[in-house]
Amino acid sequence: MNEAADRFDSPPPAEAAPPESAAQTTNPEPQCAASNATPPDRVHAGFRRGKSSWREMFALAFALAGWMVPGLGHALLGRWGRAVGFFLAVGGLAVTGLLLSGYLFTPQSGDAFGTLGFLSEAGAGVFYFAGRFIESAGPNLARASGEIGTRFIATAGIVNLLAVLDAFEIARGRRY
Amino acid sequence: MHAAFAHVGHFATMLLFGLFVSVALACLTRRTAAERVRYAIRTFLLFILIGVAIAWIMYPISR
Repeated sequence: MNEAADRFDSPPPAEAAPPESAAQTTNPEPQCAASNATPPDRVHAGFRRGKSSWREMFALAFALAGWMVPGLGHALLGRWGRAVGFFLAVGGLAVTGLLLSGYLFTPQSGDAFGTLGFLSEAGAGVFYFAGRFIESAGPNLARASGEIGTRFIATAGIVNLLAVLDAFEIARGRRY
Repeated sequence: MHAAFAHVGHFATMLLFGLFVSVALACLTRRTAAERVRYAIRTFLLFILIGVAIAWIMYPISR
């Protein structure tokens, strides 16, 4: 009898409400949480955004490390096989180019080809700067091997830039 | 050291170039070590083959 009276004393709008709201009234806790807190989709989006910005920063740091020392970016990511391979390939190209008396472009070369040459060679990172430090006498362009050496050093830089991009993409999670 | 490399011929430099670039490309494009070794060997052989073929094609032009 009391149960029937309670049922009939309940307010009519609650009974006339659609089934979804009726389900919410039976369990009011989620409704309160949803009304007070930020919507779940925004929370997850913000969390994802924050996480990805950290990831981007680490990816940039790994890329910078990989540019300075070829293969270091992959080594920091735990990709030891690629790290050793890139170090050997870039180092071999750069050292062979230096031994063949290749030309090391400077930032103040004065023309577009010189600037492009500098950008490609500087991609070799520590090998370029070591070459600049060692080769104080300048290039030997009197021999054909000097021209070939220049191509070797430039190729070392380009290959290392590809490795840097690879490490960056791996650190971002977009590449295995 | 420079003197030793001053007399390295074009073919030897091509071999060195092909070797290093093949290793780099294999590291870039293949995942497992076995795949990388196979790819590097194949690319290196193609470097030599195509280099020699281009040299023979250019030979009549250079004379």
